[in-house]
This record gives sequence, C-alpha cells and structure tokens, in this order.
Amino acid sequence: MARWGMVIDLDRCTGCQACVIACKAENNVPAVGAKEAVRGRIISWMQVLTEVEDHDHPGEQMRFVPRPCLQCDDPPCTKVCPVYATYRNPEGIVAQIYARCIGCRFCMAACPYNAKYFNWHRYQKEGPGQNPDVSVRPKGVVEKCTFCHHRLQHARERALAEGREVAPGEYVPACAEACPARAIIFGDLSDPGSEVSRLAQSRRAFRLLEELGTKPKVIYLTEGEGRG
Amino acid sequence: MPSPSGGGDVRRAPGASDRTVRVIQWAMAGLAVLFIGGIITWITHLIRTAWRLGDVPSASIGISLVAIPVFLTLLGVILYVFVGLLGDRSER
Amino acid sequence: MADRADTRDAVLLAPIELTGRGFYLTVGLLSLLILWGAIAYWTQFDEGLGVTGLHQPVSWGFYVTNFVFFIGISHAGTLISAILRLSKAEWRRPITRMAEVITVMVLFIGAGQILVDLGRPDRMLNIIRYGRYQSPLLWDATSISAYLTASIVYLYIPMIPDIAILRDRVGKRKLLYTVLALGWQGTEHQQKVLNRAIAIMAVLVIPIAVSVHSVVSFVFSMTLQPMWHSTIFGPYFVVGAIFSGIAALIVAMVAFRKAYGLHGYLKPIHFRYLGQLLLVMALLWFYFTFAEYLTGYYGAEPEEMKVFQAKFSGPFWPFFWGMVLTNLIIPILCLVRLGRRTIGKVLIASLSVTVGMWLERFIIVVPTLSNPRLPFGEGIYWPTWVEWGELAGSFALFALFYVLFTKLFPVISIWEIREGREVGLKEVEERLLTYLPDTAEPRHAEPERGW
Repeated sequence: MARWGMVIDLDRCTGCQACVIACKAENNVPAVGAKEAVRGRIISWMQVLTEVEDHDHPGEQMRFVPRPCLQCDDPPCTKVCPVYATYRNPEGIVAQIYARCIGCRFCMAACPYNAKYFNWHRYQKEGPGQNPDVSVRPKGVVEKCTFCHHRLQHARERALAEGREVAPGEYVPACAEACPARAIIFGDLSDPGSEVSRLAQSRRAFRLLEELGTKPKVIYLTEGEGRG
Repeated sequence: MPSPSGGGDVRRAPGASDRTVRVIQWAMAGLAVLFIGGIITWITHLIRTAWRLGDVPSASIGISLVAIPVFLTLLGVILYVFVGLLGDRSER
Repeated sequence: MADRADTRDAVLLAPIELTGRGFYLTVGLLSLLILWGAIAYWTQFDEGLGVTGLHQPVSWGFYVTNFVFFIGISHAGTLISAILRLSKAEWRRPITRMAEVITVMVLFIGAGQILVDLGRPDRMLNIIRYGRYQSPLLWDATSISAYLTASIVYLYIPMIPDIAILRDRVGKRKLLYTVLALGWQGTEHQQKVLNRAIAIMAVLVIPIAVSVHSVVSFVFSMTLQPMWHSTIFGPYFVVGAIFSGIAALIVAMVAFRKAYGLHGYLKPIHFRYLGQLLLVMALLWFYFTFAEYLTGYYGAEPEEMKVFQAKFSGPFWPFFWGMVLTNLIIPILCLVRLGRRTIGKVLIASLSVTVGMWLERFIIVVPTLSNPRLPFGEGIYWPTWVEWGELAGSFALFALFYVLFTKLFPVISIWEIREGREVGLKEVEERLLTYLPDTAEPRHAEPERGW
C-alpha cells in the first residue's frame, strides 16, 4: 500500500505563497474576512511560516517554512480525539470527519504544529465557484489539510476504469502542483524509486520537531547548497 | 443508640398513599439499577467498538477493568441501603 | 429528652419551614446573573464560538479553565468529609453536609463547562455513541460520572435520618420526604445498615475523587505541549483541587452561618481547624508549584522557557504573580495567627484562594497554547462578554442550586449533631482512654485473637 509523503526543499522555496492560495482554492478554505483575521482566526491549511534567523538584524535573513499538515505516522491529534473524528487512514493520511467532529478542539491543543483549524463561525455556504469535490465545513468543527485526498480518489477511479494501477505523478496535491519553484515534491514514500523517497534520504533532509517522535511524512530539505 | 427520628409518633395513616410511597421508593432503586447498568453497557459498547476498529482496545479494557467494578460496588451500596432500610419496615 | 433536643436544633429546621425576604432577594439576584449567562450561551449557540475571544492558537480559554476549576472545587466535599469521617474528627459534625452538597452541585456545573465549550453541542451524544478510550476526555467522562454517582449517594445516605425528621415534623412536602426517608424509623437494624453504608462510601469515595482530578490533569499532561507534558500534573492538580475545595467550603460556611444564624453550630474553632488545614494545603500547593516551575526553569528547554517567560515576566505576569499573591502570601499572612478575629481572617484567606486557584488553572491552560513551538503567530487571549457571562452564570447557578438545596434539606446534619451530644462525647472519652497507657488493670500483652 502506498505511503503518501511530501518533500519541501527550503532551498527552492521563495516564500511566494502560491501553494497557500492554490490550497485555499482547491479545498474551499474560507476567507474569514479582515475582522476575523485580526482576531487570529485565519484558516490556512497550508501556511508559510517565517523564521527570522538573525534576531539582531531582523529582516536580513528570513527562512520560509511552508507547513501543510505533516501527516504524522504517530499523530498526537488522533490519539486525543474522543469520537474518532480524526484518524490516520491505512495510507497514512490523517483524516478529519466533519460530520462526526464535536468541536472540543482537543486535537488543536495537542497538535505541536498548529496544523488544525477551527470554524469559529459559519464562514461560508455552498455556492458557485467552489470545488464540488470538497465539502464545505459547517461552523463548530475542526478542519485540516488532507493532502488533497479527493484527488487521490479521482485518480483511483480513473485507474480503476482503465484497469490499471495509479501511476506515479497521477495524484498530486494542489500545493505541489502550484509551486513555481518546484520546491514541493509529492509521491509514494513506500516506493524506493520515487523522487520523494530519493530526496527523503538526502543528507539535507530533516523533519519538523523530529524529537517529539511524531514521525511526520512531510520532510524538509535544509538550505544547504547555497550556503556552503 | 438514640432514635434519630425523634420519637415513635410515626405511625401515620396507612392505605393507598403508603403503597404509592413504596412504589416510588422501589422505582428509585430500579432507576439506580438502570442508570449504572446503562453506564456499564456503554463501557462495554466502547470496548466492542475499539475492538472492531482495532483502535487501542487495550486502553478500553484496562480502564473498564477498574471502572466496571467501581460502578458495581456503587450499585451494591445503593441496593444494600434500599433493601436494608425498606426491608426492615416490611418486617414490622 | 427527644423534645429538648428538638427545640435545641429548631434553628436548623427554620430555613425549611420559613422563607424570608432575603431568600427572594438572593434568588432574584442570582437569576439575573444566570440570565446573563443564558443570553451569552444562546448567542454562542446561535453564532458559533466566534463570539468568544478564542482563536488560533489559543483554542481553549475560560471554559476549560472553569471546567478544571469547578471540578477542583468539587473535592471540597466528598473528599474532606470522607477524610474527616474516617479519621473520626469529632468537629466534622456540622461541616460534612455542607461539604457534600458543594461537591454534588459543583460537579454539574463543572461537567456543564465542557458542553459550553463544544463547537457542536448538538453532537454531544457522539461521545456516547462513538467514544474512544484512548482520549483522556473519555477518562474524564467515566471518572466524573463515577464521582457524581458516588457523591450523590454519599450525600443522600447520611441525610436519610434527617429526612425522616423532616417527614415527621415539617408540614410541607410530605410525599417527597416520606419517599426519600426510605421508611427510616431508627431501628437498630436500620442504623447498622446506614452506618455500614456510610463507612463503605467514605472509603470508596476517596480513590474516586483522587482519580477525577488526576484524569482532568491528564487532559493536559498527555499532550506533548511545553509545560503541560509533566509527570507531576496528576498529584499537582489533586492538591490544588483539595486546596480550592477547602476554600470554597469555608466561604459557604461563613455565608450560611450569617444567613441562617448558625453561630451556635459553626463556631470559631471549626474555622480555626479548617483554616489550619487551608494553610497546610497552601504550603503543599506551593511546594508542588515550586517543584514544577524549578524543573522547567533548570532544564531550560527553549520551548519550555518560552512559556515560562510568558508567565513569569511576559504578558501573563499579572496572572502569575497574582496567583502567587492570592494562593500563598495572603493565606499565610491571614492564617499563621488565628487567635483573634478567626472567622474574618479565614474568610479573607478563603476568598483569596478561590480567586487564586482560578488564576492557577488559567495560567496552566492559556500560556502554553499562546506560545506554540513553531514560529506561528503568538496569541494573547482576551475574553469577551460571552465568556464573562458564562463565568458569572456558572457561579450564580451553583449558588442557586445550593440555596435551593438548603430550602429543602437541613444544611447541617441534625442527627449527627445529636449523635455527637449523646454518643460522641462518651465515645471520645473511651477512645482517648485506649490511646493512653493502661494503669488501672495491667493486662498481659497477648496477641489479639483472630490475628
């Protein structure tokens, strides 16, 4: 069975936020409006975190870390869910069942990456211009990045109709597709020949907060080549 | 021991109301059985769900090994009081 | 003899028989606060949790703080009264009932906070249908329902002889009292059953109470978050719970002493003993806090330090130092010398601890969330009128429940006071004699039979 994973090359990331926008459009992520944004309620499944490296000279050196849900193999969020509304599916994707979630926000409190978001209000209704493959979330539930799981379903249906396996590169999340610098590479970590597997073995590879033992399937490559 | 009810003037008019009282009292005991029985059924349901989904059944079993005896003990005390106090009056 | 006792304890029945203007005034005032809470809740139910000050990353705020706080208060009762009963502390007699009532009433309020906190209260029953025991929230649900059941039973059983008194002496609510008295006549058999049941419950309720606040702490300590992921959280929370419980008990005692004229029953000596207990718990609480914070500080892990700084000198400093002031300094100043004006001093200390323990819960819940590990926007949390309304409404609802209880049942155990007068005095003397070296008739030190 496939183990979907992602490699993000920080050397290539320009911080352009194309992945953020692509994700919002693909997954019907609501725009919460300026008032809510000021109150800290922006929903952004893919978020570009900025790290100031040199605190004495802020702005001189910035590090951009695009952060989707890291799809941990040992996710702290699924452990604490009281109703099985968030769980790790057999292919390793951490899913959220909006119709089951009771909105206790325990998973948000437990996630060390802050990758989970809450619908504080009803931010949108179903309407034209939305992606019909992704359900619009009601108020009061937690939502998160799913590695564009609906695209996997599409790819699988197509492959099934044509009587073949899902081909490498057939299933790619919106963020990886949109990245103009090709900093986001997506694929099957269980296939040793795939590009993600190869890059994940790189000496530059690291995982966010690796020491917590969450075993994320989003792997970063440090800036290394440009720095010597 | 002194009689805490404060004297023997408690033979009130018996009859229909006396029966109603007994029925309500035993209904209360029944409610306790239902309530605690419900909780134990619920815990068993959680074990079954966890087992079926392969969702850490050990946690459910471990917790229920403590929880179910506690609830049963509570029920035991409740029934002991009901039977002990109400049974004594019916002997008279 | 029975008659003399009856007139002596008439003051305990007075609140049930007569209702004054003060009662209606209190109920009216409390209802206003509850109305505020109800409007706040309706607004939140209608518009979503967005009407609160919660956001990303501070997704838990007042409601979770209240939950921990109220469940903590619940340790007043049952635990204190069980310990006092088991240790045969004779001064417990006028106190136990009040303590047990606090537990039952506040548990409803505490458990209710979780429902207020849910984004989808309409799906509350999912916890029952799809619950999973890996989640500490389910541990809470199980433990709290056991505690609620146990404390209702533990409140009710020792109340049966008093209900029988009400059945025989009060004209009102005959059916209610007759049903609840369970045919109590005070026969020898009935007394045996009752005393045995009370003894079993007193033993059973202590581990349950300890488990409750331990699993409440596990909600935090089972996560990986800095300053939550701590091994001493279980005992730390239990100590804090007993601490705040004693404070709440003292406040309730002072209030009812004044309202119902119970000066003859709740004497300065009771407040002095409870005050000393409060002082001991203040020191114990400080010891745990000190150990917890020193470990974090000395280890100086960057993530832990970020939260530590936020509390110590960062945006949360007023709450942190306020907590130190109200939980340690004021109680020590008030309680070291209790010679004169005992009740006033103990009351001030208790009110201070009640505030302080709420701050402690707040300072545990919020700063960790507001300082995430990744360079994520840090969040300061400002509650809105909705959260203040829920807080006020919760306190008022608790007080209303308590006041209504005192209109239905005596707030001081009448039969236990009588037993103290008629049996306790002699028993204590006999017990005391067994503590002392035998002088009159030297017995041979032979092992007791059956050992």
